Amino acid sequence: MAIFRTYNRKKILFMMAAFLLAVILILVRLAYLMIVCKEYYTLQAEELHQRERRIKAARGRIMDANGVELASNRTVCTVSVIYNQVEEPEKVISMLTKELQLEEAEVRKKVEKKSSRERIKSNVDKEVGDRIRAYDYAGVKVDEDYKRYYPYDNLASKVLGFTGADNQGIIGLEVEYEDWLKGKDGTILTLTDARGVELEGAREVREESQAGYDVYVSLDYNIQKYAQQIAYKTLEAKSANYVSIIVMNPQNGEILAMVNAPEFNLNTPYELNIETEPADEKEKQNLLNQMWRNQSINDTYEPGSTFKIITATAGLEEKVVNINSTFSCPGYKIVEDRRIRCHKTTGHGAETFLQATMNSCNPVFMTVGERVGVEKMYLYFRKLGLLNRTGVDLPGEAATIIHKQENVGPVELATMSFGQSFQITPMQLLRAVSAVINGGTLVTPHFGVCAKDGDGNTVETFSYPTESNVISLDTSETMRYILEQVVSEGTGKNGKIEGFSIGGKTATSQKLPRSAHKYISSYIGFAPADNPSVVAIGIIDEPEGVYYGGTVAAPMIRELYENILPYLGIPQQEVTTEE
Amino acid sequence: MAKRQKTRIHKTKSGRFFDYSLLFIIIFLLCFGLVMLYSTSSYTAQLKFGSGSYYLNKQIFATILGLAGMAFVIWFGYERIEKLAFPIYVVSILSVLLVLTPLGYEANGARRWLNLGVTSVQPAEFVKLAVIIFLAFIISKTAGKISDWKNLVKIFVLILPAVAAVAVVTENLSTAIIIMGIAFIMLFVASPKYKPFLVIAGVAVVGILAFIMFGSGFRMTRIEVWKNPELYPQDGGFQVLQGLYAIGSGGIFGKGLGQSLQKMGFIPEAQNDMIFTIICEELGLFGAVCVILLFLFMLWRFMIIANNAPNLFSALLVVGVMGHIALQVILNIAVVTNTIPNTGVTLPFISYGGTSILFLLAEMGLVLSVSRGIKVQ
Repeated sequence: MAIFRTYNRKKILFMMAAFLLAVILILVRLAYLMIVCKEYYTLQAEELHQRERRIKAARGRIMDANGVELASNRTVCTVSVIYNQVEEPEKVISMLTKELQLEEAEVRKKVEKKSSRERIKSNVDKEVGDRIRAYDYAGVKVDEDYKRYYPYDNLASKVLGFTGADNQGIIGLEVEYEDWLKGKDGTILTLTDARGVELEGAREVREESQAGYDVYVSLDYNIQKYAQQIAYKTLEAKSANYVSIIVMNPQNGEILAMVNAPEFNLNTPYELNIETEPADEKEKQNLLNQMWRNQSINDTYEPGSTFKIITATAGLEEKVVNINSTFSCPGYKIVEDRRIRCHKTTGHGAETFLQATMNSCNPVFMTVGERVGVEKMYLYFRKLGLLNRTGVDLPGEAATIIHKQENVGPVELATMSFGQSFQITPMQLLRAVSAVINGGTLVTPHFGVCAKDGDGNTVETFSYPTESNVISLDTSETMRYILEQVVSEGTGKNGKIEGFSIGGKTATSQKLPRSAHKYISSYIGFAPADNPSVVAIGIIDEPEGVYYGGTVAAPMIRELYENILPYLGIPQQEVTTEE
Repeated sequence: MAKRQKTRIHKTKSGRFFDYSLLFIIIFLLCFGLVMLYSTSSYTAQLKFGSGSYYLNKQIFATILGLAGMAFVIWFGYERIEKLAFPIYVVSILSVLLVLTPLGYEANGARRWLNLGVTSVQPAEFVKLAVIIFLAFIISKTAGKISDWKNLVKIFVLILPAVAAVAVVTENLSTAIIIMGIAFIMLFVASPKYKPFLVIAGVAVVGILAFIMFGSGFRMTRIEVWKNPELYPQDGGFQVLQGLYAIGSGGIFGKGLGQSLQKMGFIPEAQNDMIFTIICEELGLFGAVCVILLFLFMLWRFMIIANNAPNLFSALLVVGVMGHIALQVILNIAVVTNTIPNTGVTLPFISYGGTSILFLLAEMGLVLSVSRGIKVQ
């Protein structure tokens, strides 16, 4: 029998050496992978294993001038299912259908969808969420979450705005101050298996969320509430389309109230505030968009006679007229081939400029406009901010609709002189008037005052551009006097309150087309007349019955002032009975 | 190595030797393998079969069967097996051919399995054992003409049916390569010459390199995948890459037993060819080196047994087994570390696979049987 010889043993040793060499090479490779490349592969593997889950940050509140919460948060739940973990799909479907009051088919589709996590419904009330959690069905997850909550439902709805499903601002201040309010979402990093299912007992890495900052606004809950009540009263009494009121501090542009009745309920922003059955989703969306419109800044209108304040200012500033300049109104004025009527067709006869303003006499203002000329008129429009957006801290501000300067002929100039043939927003007019009466400073109307963190420390005080001396102090003083006269004895006398000196101007604008005989009544009033600390504009769109600004809008603002002037600390003078 | 190894030989009462060291390593590797198999497969087994010990139970069953087989082979004795070498060889080839009959079935895209009712087996594993026995038999019978070229060709022709059956019928190229590797090693050890074998090895290496550089066709993708696993996730690069993530994230001491994340379904079928990557992830470089050292120690015992074997046949049996274990360990680890392109080679004793365990333990039985034949002087 053959035996194993010495050379065979040598060969075995040779083989063994070859194996050893191969093993050493492999060990070198292993050491390279596990020591040198450890960082790289560990990182790659972690990226593969970790799943990020967001922790929603609490959205900052919106606070009024006195620290009243106008927008806050409430705990709500998000219900979702994890397909791989659901054990009894039928029970889960029927339970969710019942508790969330959803269509069964819709729930079934989501439960049976093969996704790592499917959201069934968000913004579920905490009680419902607790009930669903109590069922303790495998694969059903209830996550707590914050929902925006507006304690005063429809108060300043179009100003505050509301938030969407992801807690992001949709309209209003919620959009404008999104960056301040939203905070920073935190993350939970969890480990998952290859299917994306989180591993139980695996360590979590948490990065806590940072709550958003509270934004303090100049809006005053009391003034807003009162303005809103009055606006609604007028809205109903006059069956108007809408009623807008803006109350502002003319010295610094802080808006104290902005009402656009009808408002809508911020807690249910997708429910129409009118009784109508929209034909389809598209129509409903249109109606919702209409409902959300902030007419004070999103819509333009022909200001009408209130605009005479601007014409008068331009005339005084250009010294083409003074308060004692005399005019004669025959009830119309011929401009080129047109005969443009005064609202008093019989004419005001002989009158001074002061009287003409008190009478709101169109022919006089056409004459003043003519004397100022197109170029200078546009200069004052620009100076008073009428050709630009105001820069108010709300989204969607409308732009001025006006003739190009080179296209303005005598007729256009004449109609513009008394506030027709161009459109601006109520906010623009209020800002321009503020500059006229505050001594010539063009302010930026605004709501935002400052942002504070959760502990009440101010993190940012918002500042707004102003432009000084756009008109002279003299002109401003004269205008205040004239406008005070308008209220005390002129067309604005319905705005008068005993004991307060109030300046103002009314307007009745005929909407286009003129043949429809639809009107906008408006009134701008400010107090105290010699050093105004509050200015307000009231606009009533398409009032029924009597539609004159002096009889519809002026009393509305008077009623507002009667309540808020004492509240604002404006002293009431002893009433001296003259008669 | 002219001197006989004596130092590690222990006496038994009868004066006959039994390699308890080897037995210990076998049992240790088996137990370690079962622990790692459970750690690796329990998560996916729970998901797939509802029982975390699904793979473990099957492997324990195969191990017990294998240990019984090993005991039987030791009792039966390699001497009697020598007489059955040719029938065993023929039966093994026939068993491969059975795969073509309705008994055979397909799993994981390849028809490699025989359904035996209670369980199923992979005949290719049997062929490896049969080839070792048959080659040891035929080489020892023709030992006088071992240097003769004609004899070499004859032996080569004789094992060709086994290689062809495995490569063509079961499309199991890696097993076919291992069979050829075993044959090469056994012939190399049996022959007094070096040159022809070094030339063959050299030609093979050059051929493989040429294939890598200039080759084309479907195997070319495998090479491309090897070079850039990130770019070919669909063609197997995914598995390799996931394996590298596991190895790399293990570091020096690993994440700890049971702490692997890559086994959570990231590495497909981690309990098979890729189990070494999970060892690396959980036990680190330290654990990996220990496993490799265990295998080296096992090879070392084989060498000692072969060197002390009573005759050429028994020595070549041990050399064949040694070649088998060495090739599989080296190729498996080389593949999972992406040192060489992917071939489906399992890690002996540790990877999941009942047939593999069964026949490996039968081979161990052969070696231990040979160790009993060593006479202590």
